Amino acid sequence: MPGTPYPKQQMHRIAYTKLSEQQIADKLGPVAKRGPKCASPLSDAFAGKPLRIVTDKGPALTYKFGRNNRLSVAENGGRAVEAGYGALTQDSVVFFSHMIPGTQRGYAVIIDRAANLATVFELWFSGYKDNREVQRAIYYGYVEQPGQPAPKDRHVTTNRIEGHGYYWKQDTGARTLEFYPSAAYSNFVELTRLGGELGYCGPSDYIKINDELYIYTRTECEFSGTFTLYVMDLNRVEQIGVRLGFDASDALEYYVFRGKGEWLGQIAQFEKFGDVSGEPVPPPADGSKGARRVYRPLATMPKMSKAEVDAAVAKKTTVFAPGSIMAGNGAPPTGWLAGKALTLRYDDGPVMDYRFDDAETLNWRKNGGGWTKARYQAWEPAPGVILFGHLLEGEPNHDGHMVVADFDHGLVTCFNGYLNTPYFANEAGVKTLFGVIEMEGVNPPQHLRHQFTDEMLGRAMTWSYGPGLTSMHLYSTPHSVSWIIFTASGAGGMEWSGPGAFVKIRDGLYFLYWLEEACNGTLGTILVNMRTMHDAGIGYHCGEEGLSMSQVGAHSRHAGRFDVSRFYQIKTKGSAA
Amino acid sequence: MTTNTVSTRRSLLKGGALLAAPLAVGASAAAIAEDGRKARLERLEDEAAIRALHQAWLRRINTGAREDAAELFADPKRAAFDKAVRGVAADHAAEPDAIKVAADGARAAGRFHCAVEIETEIPKDGALAQMAHAQGGGFIRHTERRVLKADYVKADGAWAIAKVEFASA
Repeated sequence: MPGTPYPKQQMHRIAYTKLSEQQIADKLGPVAKRGPKCASPLSDAFAGKPLRIVTDKGPALTYKFGRNNRLSVAENGGRAVEAGYGALTQDSVVFFSHMIPGTQRGYAVIIDRAANLATVFELWFSGYKDNREVQRAIYYGYVEQPGQPAPKDRHVTTNRIEGHGYYWKQDTGARTLEFYPSAAYSNFVELTRLGGELGYCGPSDYIKINDELYIYTRTECEFSGTFTLYVMDLNRVEQIGVRLGFDASDALEYYVFRGKGEWLGQIAQFEKFGDVSGEPVPPPADGSKGARRVYRPLATMPKMSKAEVDAAVAKKTTVFAPGSIMAGNGAPPTGWLAGKALTLRYDDGPVMDYRFDDAETLNWRKNGGGWTKARYQAWEPAPGVILFGHLLEGEPNHDGHMVVADFDHGLVTCFNGYLNTPYFANEAGVKTLFGVIEMEGVNPPQHLRHQFTDEMLGRAMTWSYGPGLTSMHLYSTPHSVSWIIFTASGAGGMEWSGPGAFVKIRDGLYFLYWLEEACNGTLGTILVNMRTMHDAGIGYHCGEEGLSMSQVGAHSRHAGRFDVSRFYQIKTKGSAA
Repeated sequence: MTTNTVSTRRSLLKGGALLAAPLAVGASAAAIAEDGRKARLERLEDEAAIRALHQAWLRRINTGAREDAAELFADPKRAAFDKAVRGVAADHAAEPDAIKVAADGARAAGRFHCAVEIETEIPKDGALAQMAHAQGGGFIRHTERRVLKADYVKADGAWAIAKVEFASA
């Protein structure tokens, strides 16, 4: 029976169960005794041996490894408990993981036998208000060797992985694209679990073992809460690691894995030369175990009903108010449309007639209806190409049109934003409308249209909107946009993502949007000029403060491009990735 | 705060003045000279104390210990200072510091050319700004050349700050 092996919804739309501590304990119990699964042969590197790990600001762990993947562990000289474990080796590294039976805690341990160093991740559930989100604390230390002094070195956080991107295939069959455009977050595309439609982001750790071996983690915060850790060998492009968490059907995933990968490229870093420091986002000052800053956009966004949206729009609607902080580097508007009249005829969409009174006022009518006056602004980012936007007052969903009209070719593309979407009424939705321009002197084509493109796919571009407001976009899939926020040192910090689309207007000129779904609800649209490395854009947003359409404008730097298009080709026989 | 500077200067001045004194002077001339030296010494001591007070205030502002800085004011309620200022450093490329003690010896004014680091918070409009704040940023810092104008008062033999304000350089 043919079909798609993916969940009905993408990750940000899955209503993950709020598991109770007892539900988690019930599922962890047998697994803690048995140990993690593994699709590859486990290592017996430590079988029959004792091991004592001393960490600087964490536990001392005394292990005795038995046969058949059993161990006993004593924390800080306490009573030893038995547990199942799984170990894997990679070059000089031995990695193992186990839970502590009777608790919701466990460990993932990386032993660097060449340097006699150890990095210990303590992992636990029920440490955040969403119990299923795995928490982690990192302890740096060494393996105690009788009669030998403790080594002075430690594994260290680093930005040396920032900018890398890999394709990984685990021994479980799970395939992912993983990008590290930040030194604090990462972006991952689930090719097999979700079909690779969207890229998602999670807080991450990057720790250097040596120049070719690094530890990486991510926690799927705001989603399932699943924790993934692996040691990656950059030269061999191999990984060993662990995955711990509850999936969308609340099944416990706890397995160690091997994987092989492919290098997808390297994008630029923006720290000062010589700066290889890690952990650019400092943890909060509360000093609690494992504390770190996590972007929680769904938890913090206002969630409004249709009635609340209608009331907010009625109370305040703002169109191109001056002083938008996202337009500090915006280009000045143009009056090119003033005095003109034209029709935008969209395929399978509305027919929009326009009369432009001046550089800021237009009259529109939809499908031959009545005329409505509206405030607008327009820009000409490339000769003959005009971007303009306006709200459609009176439309039940408070639509806004963000339009790119190419008068040299008679073509138009509109990102039609609207509200009253299914999840939160204030969250913008968007329809992409392709069509033609009808006006005196313009003979529109019969068949030619602007088209969706993958020419932006894999690219990373920085956007400097104004002082202190610089981000980087990463277009990790043909349908998503991710944004990385730089820290003051130029390191990539927090990162998030949303659905997006890319339309080619001309060579080097692309009209794209992103939706801040389950985030701020904003629809961002920008016309990217790859020749001038400048954009002109329009934001469409509704919140408790009302509805707004505002200018966006930023200078850009091209940070590089990952080679990923081959992962998104639709193939025969239902193989979608 | 330290008083080493004051005592060192006093020692040097005393020694220097004595060495420079003529061997034979009239009694009245000697008295006048003595009064002059005393007045000059007092002024130098006042200037040194004010300079030390200014340095103490700078240290507290630059280390974020603003509440402690209030202790240096004659009226702690007047210690409120522009919260946007994150740091103040001497501008050695500008005119030297100037401290003028009033004739009554109870009031003084200081002018200090400095480079002021000013922090402006970015409004939390939109995802970018909100994320910048969430990761501990969300502000812009820039440096401006300014003149720090301070008034001082002496009470019970000790100098305290009466008022501090910035003016354009």
